Amino acid sequence: MRRLADVLEDWEAVIGLEVHTALTTLETKMLCGCRLSHDDEPNANVCPICLGMPGALPVPNEKAIESIVMAGLATNCEVMRRSMFYRKHYFYPDMAKNFQTTQGPVAFVMHGHLDLEVSGEGACERLGATVDKRPDGSYVAPIRILRIHMEEDAAKMNHLGGAEGRIGGASESLIDYNRCGTPLIELVTEPDLRTPEEARLFMEKLRQTFLALGISDCSMEKGSMRCDGNVSLRRRGDTHFGTKTELKNLNSFKSLHDALAYEICRQAEVLEEGGAVRQETRHWEPSRRRTVVMRVKETADDYRFFPDPDLAPFDLSDEFVERCRARMPELPDARRDRYMTTWGLRRLDAEKLVADPATASFFEAVAAQVEPSVMPTLVNVMVNLVPAFAALDEAQVASVSGLLAEDALTFAQAREVFELVDGTDADPVRVVDERGMRQSTDADALGAIVDEVLERCESQVQQYHDGNEKVVGFLVGQCMRASKGSGNPKMFNQLLVRRLEA
Amino acid sequence: MMGSLDALSARQIATGVTRGDFSATEVAQASLDAIASRDGKTQAFLQVSEELALAAAARTDAARAAGERLGPLAGVPVAFKDNMNLVGTRTTCASRMLEPYESAYTATCVQRMLDAGATPLGKLNMDEFAFGSTTDSSAFHPTNNPWDLTRVPGGSSGGSAAAVTAGEVTLALGSDTGGSIRQPASLCGVVGMKPSYGVVSRYGVVAFGSSLDQVGPIGRRVEDVALAMNALTAGGRDRLDATSRDCTQDYLAHLEDPIEGRAVGVIPALLEAEGLAPEVRSAIERAAHKLADAGARIMEVDLPNMASSIAAYYVLASCEAFSNLARFDGVRYGYQEPGCATLAEQSSLSRAHGFGPEAKRRQMLGAYLLSSGVYERYYLAAQKVRTLITADYQRAFAQVDAILMPASPTVAWEHGAISDPAALYLADVYTISNNIAGNCGISVPVGLGTDSGMPIGAQLQGPTFADASLLTFARALERACDMEGVVAPAFVGKGGEL
Repeated sequence: MRRLADVLEDWEAVIGLEVHTALTTLETKMLCGCRLSHDDEPNANVCPICLGMPGALPVPNEKAIESIVMAGLATNCEVMRRSMFYRKHYFYPDMAKNFQTTQGPVAFVMHGHLDLEVSGEGACERLGATVDKRPDGSYVAPIRILRIHMEEDAAKMNHLGGAEGRIGGASESLIDYNRCGTPLIELVTEPDLRTPEEARLFMEKLRQTFLALGISDCSMEKGSMRCDGNVSLRRRGDTHFGTKTELKNLNSFKSLHDALAYEICRQAEVLEEGGAVRQETRHWEPSRRRTVVMRVKETADDYRFFPDPDLAPFDLSDEFVERCRARMPELPDARRDRYMTTWGLRRLDAEKLVADPATASFFEAVAAQVEPSVMPTLVNVMVNLVPAFAALDEAQVASVSGLLAEDALTFAQAREVFELVDGTDADPVRVVDERGMRQSTDADALGAIVDEVLERCESQVQQYHDGNEKVVGFLVGQCMRASKGSGNPKMFNQLLVRRLEA
Repeated sequence: MMGSLDALSARQIATGVTRGDFSATEVAQASLDAIASRDGKTQAFLQVSEELALAAAARTDAARAAGERLGPLAGVPVAFKDNMNLVGTRTTCASRMLEPYESAYTATCVQRMLDAGATPLGKLNMDEFAFGSTTDSSAFHPTNNPWDLTRVPGGSSGGSAAAVTAGEVTLALGSDTGGSIRQPASLCGVVGMKPSYGVVSRYGVVAFGSSLDQVGPIGRRVEDVALAMNALTAGGRDRLDATSRDCTQDYLAHLEDPIEGRAVGVIPALLEAEGLAPEVRSAIERAAHKLADAGARIMEVDLPNMASSIAAYYVLASCEAFSNLARFDGVRYGYQEPGCATLAEQSSLSRAHGFGPEAKRRQMLGAYLLSSGVYERYYLAAQKVRTLITADYQRAFAQVDAILMPASPTVAWEHGAISDPAALYLADVYTISNNIAGNCGISVPVGLGTDSGMPIGAQLQGPTFADASLLTFARALERACDMEGVVAPAFVGKGGEL
């Protein structure tokens, strides 16, 4: 198969995503009062309603509707003033009523968009003409959102005795209804994405947005955020769509990207050999890095959709929508812009910090404790050191950043200090002093060490004068060793260069 | 001995128990005694809940002994259509599919009757899953009309109407999707009320047509029915039913109000309709005269789209039934076909052998009507008819306070006399529009047929949520006829002594 970059020279990929997000932060299920928890004993959180017992009726969870309206406002959607729940019928025991409560042609929120900022290597995948690129190759891709609707999740089935937990060959199938009735929101994009990188960025941005809203834990690993991709190819310049395939099991950003990249190349090969792409559902196998056919769709399934007569149409009042709007937190884009203007952060650093709302709040709390001159160091520490540690507190990060900024620690030492204080309430300053880690910036003391090193390293000094400036690194190392690590390498460097140039 | 349960109204029983004239346990025993001696003939009951009844009665008596205030239905013997959940009973819907199903919880309407102090005597026969108007489609046995055991009691709440008519219980609850309370009440000569949609909670009542179903009481007196309405609406809106409303009020308060000067509509075209038995027609005309004698203004009104109501109803009701009955697959509860190799085999054979022919017919019809391409032509068209019929009623009720019409085109017929399902569907013509529009209706016995000697009910329909006003007209009609509190003659005094 050809490389993605080559394929995209000849073909334009048309990609749309369907993203399911479980509203895991709610207390109760979508249509009954059962607790939302996947960690409890199987079938601990069930009632006549979510078990579909005879005579039980659904009652919608108003908090779930607030969540979806907030998701819509955050993705520039229109809040539909009147929408309805529909019933989607299929016989399978993971759906106790044998129909799923979902929405019909009108969803709670519709017609939105998210603007993707695409830069770096991934920006090359999108060829010009289809988008305005900046001189550095970066661009903004506006991705339209068709709708976000609400539906209930199915129960979890465990097939025992068969291969790989599949139902085929299983001797028993156990059903855990704890998950049954979990409110899901399904976002459907228009087919506006053109590259696997854009798809990955869209999913990342959506995840950051939903995390900021606090409507879900957004864990792709645990399946609380799941994504299906639709992709088709067309010759560059064509305006009609090709036949699409649907990709499943895209349960990480990497899987999403790699599966789309594979599928684009596979379809290109089929088409270039004169074949036709079949409309089918394909499963991504991460271990073998390929997609395989799950099932071929020859006819559309008939789900016998009709409006749920147990649930009256929803007329969302202005007051309700305004209440949701008032609860909206600062979204990642706005937060990023604020970091750039308030503290002069670089765009990339700001984006990394706002990706997770907990990280951003932590950063802001530390920032409030440090001098403005320490900010660049703090950002460096937040982006490059802090993510590796589980339980640092704000004071610890502030104090280590301060020590780094005054050159009392090296970056490597800062990491060592974090290792020592992580998960404790120890004061980094005390740890540094107790262990004698504080680096000397005393010019006289360090100068004496530099003089001693230059004296015994004549050949390296000669190399320097012959034009090999890199040898300074070796000399710094010698100084560090002579000082038993207590000298500041930056100071040594400055002193060495000053003497060598003298 | 105080007399017979046959002669006592619900209010007299509750008052007697509260005063200590007799105990709730004695009343329960009398009701059990009446059931023992009468139900062999009517076959109204599917289960008699003797233990539950005696335990509830004992609680009522203990509460009285402790000086507690008793409910308005204290000690009143009540039974429930078998599509209503009551913990301690099976809820079968008269179907093999749910024959083994033990209620996991109690329906709101049942609980509210119990909260008012009623004594639960058991579960009553019905057409399977409420599909029918004879009670003959019960998977277990038919129920007989207490006025003539060779005839049907009507349906689908035929067990409820028969048990009350034969004096086995004082009150029963039924459910009405297209006339299933009013038609059997009419055929048995008792009072049956279908409240406006949303007045009574549907939670715990096995759904047939969710947008049409409504629970209501059947009794031998308008006053008994009003008392039951108080109990069913006490406590306001049921938060477990998203379509229920807060309709708490005293439905007894306006029973004796005069109807002088108030307008009652009649629809001449309906009385001319082919298929309307002459004895029913003349009974309805007499009822109109009696209302006029009581001072009502009789006016002609029209519901021009009523002719389309049967077609619209059988589309909407079948679609909802298909969807509502999908959950019965033998996986979690109910009938499960033994010895199946695959899931698909298990659910299809459980359904094939669990459901009777009418239940299958309705579900297949609904499955077809909801399929893509067909849905637009039928379901959406039926919803438009629904809008038109609702508008017809609004126009009519701008002129009149109630509309008078038959509840059934004929008196009760003999078992098996009508075997064509379509002919049975057509007999629902007088009751169906009311469910489609969601307003209230009641059948009041107005006399015996001049040809058949069988009871005839007149139906009164009122505007949505004018249920209390409708009861005023029903009471006025009851006062003018001689059917108040009547137990079918063959059963009077057969057991049930207090």
